[in-house]
Amino acid sequence: MIEFINVEKKYNHDVIALDNINVNIDKGEFAFLVGPSGSGKSTFLKLMIREEEVTSGKILIDNQDIGRLKQKEIPYLRRKIGFVFQDFRLLYDRTVAENIVFALRIIEASEREIRSQTKNVLEMVGLTGKENYYPNQLSGGEQQRVALARALATKPPIIIADEPTGNLDPSTADDIFNTLLEINARGTTVLVVTHAKDIVNKLNKRVIALNHGRIVKDEERGGY
Amino acid sequence: MTTRTYLIKEGYQNLRKHGGKTASTMLIICATMLVLGIFIILIQNVNKNVETVRVQQGLQALISDSATDEEKEYMREQIKNIEHVKDVEYLDRQKAYEDAKELFKDQEYFLEGLENVNIFPESFVVTFDDIEYGDDIKSEVEKIEGIYKVKYDETTINAVIALSKIANIFLLGIGAVLLIVSIFIISNTIKLAVYSNKREIFIMRYIGATNKFIKRPFIVEGTIMGLLSAIISFIVISLAYIVLYARLPQIGSSMGAFGFIPYSSFWYQILISYIVLGLFIGLFGSAISIKRYLKV
Repeated sequence: MIEFINVEKKYNHDVIALDNINVNIDKGEFAFLVGPSGSGKSTFLKLMIREEEVTSGKILIDNQDIGRLKQKEIPYLRRKIGFVFQDFRLLYDRTVAENIVFALRIIEASEREIRSQTKNVLEMVGLTGKENYYPNQLSGGEQQRVALARALATKPPIIIADEPTGNLDPSTADDIFNTLLEINARGTTVLVVTHAKDIVNKLNKRVIALNHGRIVKDEERGGY
Repeated sequence: MTTRTYLIKEGYQNLRKHGGKTASTMLIICATMLVLGIFIILIQNVNKNVETVRVQQGLQALISDSATDEEKEYMREQIKNIEHVKDVEYLDRQKAYEDAKELFKDQEYFLEGLENVNIFPESFVVTFDDIEYGDDIKSEVEKIEGIYKVKYDETTINAVIALSKIANIFLLGIGAVLLIVSIFIISNTIKLAVYSNKREIFIMRYIGATNKFIKRPFIVEGTIMGLLSAIISFIVISLAYIVLYARLPQIGSSMGAFGFIPYSSFWYQILISYIVLGLFIGLFGSAISIKRYLKV
């Protein structure tokens, strides 16, 4: 589903952000991407959505070489990847439901789809009944659930979560990871960038560790 | 709700979200449109009056006392054959006297005792199809035997022609400046709208919004601003002209001098100019900002 083949990324011609990355994450897999700050995690994610371009090598998403995409095809690549941010990135002047509808409008979903999908994803993340709340009326954990629901709304085959629990307390973080596992159980490929050592160790999932732009560890059932 | 109506709604909501900025932008655009409208009205009036002058103005060729009727008829034929002469009218002494009486109707004492000694010479009143050829026609008429003098007010006519040319050039200049100012103002407002929606745009990109989808609300916003300004300006200027027209004395219009033209004869020109202008500055202004600041 996500394949990096000899990927190298340099900034300003000499700063190496990623060096000879070869990784293959299968459909339906759950993987952690870990490593200290500046190890290349963010670059890894940016390359996946073509916010940055590889210096050499290639990346296949859903068997498609994304380096060959034309500029106007990039939005369609991004529709395959639901992105969840550490700081939620919600629209605070819109209700929970409107935040979800916002995503569905972007992919030009039909009215009927918008109604049913909004209901489905809110149920999936356990926010049924909070449709008309504004994000500020919710706890941090609930806000991250809204963000998750928004990412799921467009039914992407891949979910990327960039430090999804970075701003949350440990028990709320557990809940978020449980939700991510449920999403994964339904067949969605999930890639989580995190510093939450305990959770990584506890979940015993695949762990890809980066340091100085290189993969230093890639274990099927690993720890932090 | 279709995607299109959603985008229009988004554009409209953007407008409301930045209410103060929208209002001040529209105020400035209205002001520039009003200035432009005033110029269009002035030009319309000047052009119309120039046209009247073109049609009405002619020259008067005075006939020697000794000319016989055949000679007068021959002169008339000669004048009639000059290029750009529209009409030749013979004015005998009595008619000249009647015309003078009409002109001095409140001061008839001027003419007292002149009935019999008629001082008014016989003449031909020559009208042209275009006053630009006035000078040529004048010199042709002067050559005709039996014509001892040609009265032709060329300075006034030349001034009127020059005035109308200057006014037209001035309108073009003012129009160009106002157009640039309006585009700049609208693009500035859209720039602010882009900045204040940065967060939304960021999220939209990550979700997979196409460039078109991101751009459209801003274009709608700019276009609505341009069109609303056009409609407001049209209403204001129409009311102003109608009120003014009713109150302004028709300065000397009965004598064929300057007269204001009724609004009904050119309102549609103002409306069309405003709408085209509003659409153009709205679309162009927002397009500039989107290209420069949205980078999609």
